[in-house]
Amino acid sequence: MPETSTLLSPELLARLERMELISRKIFRGRMKGERRSPRKGQSVEFADFRSYVPGDDLRFVDWNTYARLEKLFLKMFLEEEDLHFYALIDATASMDFGEPTKLQYAAQLAAALGFIGLVRGDRVKIETLGQPAGQSSPVFRGRRSMWRMLDHIEQIEPGQVISLTEGVKNFCLRNSGKGIVVLLSDLMDKSGYEAALKYLVSQDMDIYVVQVLSAEEIDPEIQGDLRLVDCEDGDLAEITVSAPLMKRYQRTLAAFVDTAREFCTRRGMAYLLARNEVPVEDLVTGYLRTRGLVR
Amino acid sequence: MWPDFGSMLSGWQWAIVAAIPPAMILLYFLKLKRQPLEVPSTYLWHRSIEDLHVNSIWQRLRRNLLLFLQLLLLLIVILALLQPSWKGRQLTGDRFIFLVDNSASMNATDVGPSRLDDAKAKVGELIEKMKSGDVAMIVSFADSARVEQMFTDDRNRLRRALHGIRPTQRSTSLLEALRVASGLANPGRSSEDDTDYQVAEALPADLYVLSDGQFTPPSFSLGNLEPTYVPIGLPDAANVGIMALSVRRGESNPELFQAFARLKNFADQPVQVSVDLLLHDELIDASELEIGAGEEGSVVFPLGAIESGVLKLKARTDDDLADDDEACVVVNPPRLARVLLVTTGDEPLEFGLQTELTKTVAEVTIEPPEFLKKREYLDRAAAGAYDLVIYDRCAPPQMPQANTLLIGSLPPVDGWASEPLHEAPVIIDVETGHPLLQWMDLGDVLLLEGTPLRPPASGAVLIDSDAGPMFAIAPREGFEDAVMGFVLLGEQTEEDGTTARYVGTNWHSRQSFPVFVLNLLDYFGGGRGAMKSESVRPTQPVVIEAPSPGAKLRVLTPGGDAISLSEGRSGKFSFTRTAESGVYEVQSDGKTFRRFAVNLFDPAESEIRPKEKIDIGWVPVEAQTDWEVARREIWKWLLLLGLVVLLLEWYIYNRRVYL
Repeated sequence: MPETSTLLSPELLARLERMELISRKIFRGRMKGERRSPRKGQSVEFADFRSYVPGDDLRFVDWNTYARLEKLFLKMFLEEEDLHFYALIDATASMDFGEPTKLQYAAQLAAALGFIGLVRGDRVKIETLGQPAGQSSPVFRGRRSMWRMLDHIEQIEPGQVISLTEGVKNFCLRNSGKGIVVLLSDLMDKSGYEAALKYLVSQDMDIYVVQVLSAEEIDPEIQGDLRLVDCEDGDLAEITVSAPLMKRYQRTLAAFVDTAREFCTRRGMAYLLARNEVPVEDLVTGYLRTRGLVR
Repeated sequence: MWPDFGSMLSGWQWAIVAAIPPAMILLYFLKLKRQPLEVPSTYLWHRSIEDLHVNSIWQRLRRNLLLFLQLLLLLIVILALLQPSWKGRQLTGDRFIFLVDNSASMNATDVGPSRLDDAKAKVGELIEKMKSGDVAMIVSFADSARVEQMFTDDRNRLRRALHGIRPTQRSTSLLEALRVASGLANPGRSSEDDTDYQVAEALPADLYVLSDGQFTPPSFSLGNLEPTYVPIGLPDAANVGIMALSVRRGESNPELFQAFARLKNFADQPVQVSVDLLLHDELIDASELEIGAGEEGSVVFPLGAIESGVLKLKARTDDDLADDDEACVVVNPPRLARVLLVTTGDEPLEFGLQTELTKTVAEVTIEPPEFLKKREYLDRAAAGAYDLVIYDRCAPPQMPQANTLLIGSLPPVDGWASEPLHEAPVIIDVETGHPLLQWMDLGDVLLLEGTPLRPPASGAVLIDSDAGPMFAIAPREGFEDAVMGFVLLGEQTEEDGTTARYVGTNWHSRQSFPVFVLNLLDYFGGGRGAMKSESVRPTQPVVIEAPSPGAKLRVLTPGGDAISLSEGRSGKFSFTRTAESGVYEVQSDGKTFRRFAVNLFDPAESEIRPKEKIDIGWVPVEAQTDWEVARREIWKWLLLLGLVVLLLEWYIYNRRVYL
């Protein structure tokens, strides 16, 4: 097992250790974890009082209140539970571009978020779009699982051939539980991303869509007469680079990003555009923090 | 103005050139070589180019800057090949000769600082307009021509030479300048016979004459010279000039002098002129006169008795030429004419030479013929000590260095001959125009006998008779010999051996005789200078006689230069450096003994209105104020522009500068 990982540097690990994943929804977990659960239970965090009804566990009666008011009240405590964290990585060929490649970037981001989850005792699952519906990914839990998780992430290879919708659908079939889903993709699917996101929304999960774009896509430095070849389907686009065309491309890109953001916002999904030039560390500690994914 | 087109290419070459632009556009459509580039997704690109494809051909054409630049470059090159040219103000030809008039009239100030400066500026412009490789020559001309710069293509040397042209006060003659100019254009011929051939290739040249045109039309064949006359000066230039200034004895009282001046108005308007007369630069008299357009006016100043001095006349006018507004005249101290009369005795002549009046002008020595053999005479005659020697019925063995009058004998020089003695010849013609016989009527003169003369070819007959010339004059090496074929008083040897005298003519008892004697002294004797003022025109030579043999002479010019004279023949000096107008002083051993004045007095120079055309060899040359138009080709500039477009295209391609 390697001492260091290419995905996460020790400095980043040190910073991530102090963070935790935040879900805007409180989900029922399977094991006791460090999350508050809607189930009231035994923990130290007080939640509420309620009137005693016969049959209640007398251990939870607040005797101090009874002494003052001569009425039986039951003290209710929040039960702390674990959180399901899913990172869904798009590993199609289109993600293998940029420096670092978008896939590397997505993997790094997934590793960072996954590590936070591990540290806080959450259930962490790293999946890719290309995984068949039946093949589930291992579940990582606890700090000790970190290396296993990183290994798993590093083994993700680009070049999976699957549409975004199909991949998300498979994911939803595999994972019916509630939790946080972070979709890491460039959303560049000719059949559209809307159907895929709708699948996610229907799962009632806390959804984060991180659109990873490379600098080459945002501000292409190309010139001359070109025949553009789509790396996934081999589709051709013949262009002659000119100022009007570049302006038009920029406008199209901006419209694409805006549409995606609006689509997500309307459906309660958090949208985030990540450029591969921005270091993951800055993204996690700065941007994701302000957006409320981590604390 | 549309350009004219020449062509460098033949038909089929043009066809190739014309095929290039369509081929270029075709290549752009075909896009033969597109670089493949793998991208993550063509999704966005497809959406970006969707609406660009709608009318893509024209849109792409319109938006493709590089194609336009390349087409532009091609068009520029084709245009350059078409050799477009405009009619421009440029010099045609490749050899130019600039004749710049620097005569006195070019000092007029009606244009520029002066006309000469204006002419120089115009030549300067012409030099600027010369194309590279053109050669030019600059000649300045007044009464003579001077090559300021031989043919050269070095514009700096031309400009320097042009700058070096100085104004003069000379008269104008174009002929010599034309001869200089035609040297290369019209090369001489090897011989005059049938086999003659040109020894050098004729080099035609454009001849620019920058002048006011006030000169005698030269009789000259231009040959390969293409003349252009550039008139200098304004057509309404006004000038009043002093045409003459002289001092002479009063007609009624010879003791008193009068200054006589003549002025001419060359303008189109009458003019009021005030004239000042100065003696030794001090005002002694002034006058005012009105002169009509193109007319002359004269003014007479009574001077009283003056011994000698310099008189200066100043005309105060507001005209364009100042050089002729001032004139000087010199009244030299009277010097007695030195006259030798060699005779055996001739009372009428001796009497005529020794009147009170002649004593004031001449110093007469009378010697017998034996004197001619004496050493003293020989020395003095050879040294030019006499102004006039009168040989009465005798002749010297050798002619003296003096003017002579021979009465009844012939001078011992070639050319003179006589016919046998003729009885009672009748005078039929008298040359009264000659100074010797001025204003004389010899109708009442009878001759007893006379020897008809045959003067040399250069001579002139002054008195003609029915028998032949009775009085003739001929020049001899700077002097003149007058010969009378009749005697005033003759001698005849009688049979007894005694000598009898007889009167040969009644002339001495007529009124005309003393006048003749005075004329004789006046014309031949140095005494002329005492009575008449001396004035020469610029560049005319002045003969200066040394006061004593072997004296060293120095001439002080009006400009203050001192010029030492080398002795000419027989104690006479010829002074030619009289280009400057003003008063010249002649000094001998540091003492001024003579002055003379140089004045313009040239109507041709004072007439400063430029001529509209000049005649050269009876060929009229019209004035040209605008330069000849020429094809001005711009293909070089077009190619340069093409280079700029090429650089721009390269820059745009490399720096991705978009529209």
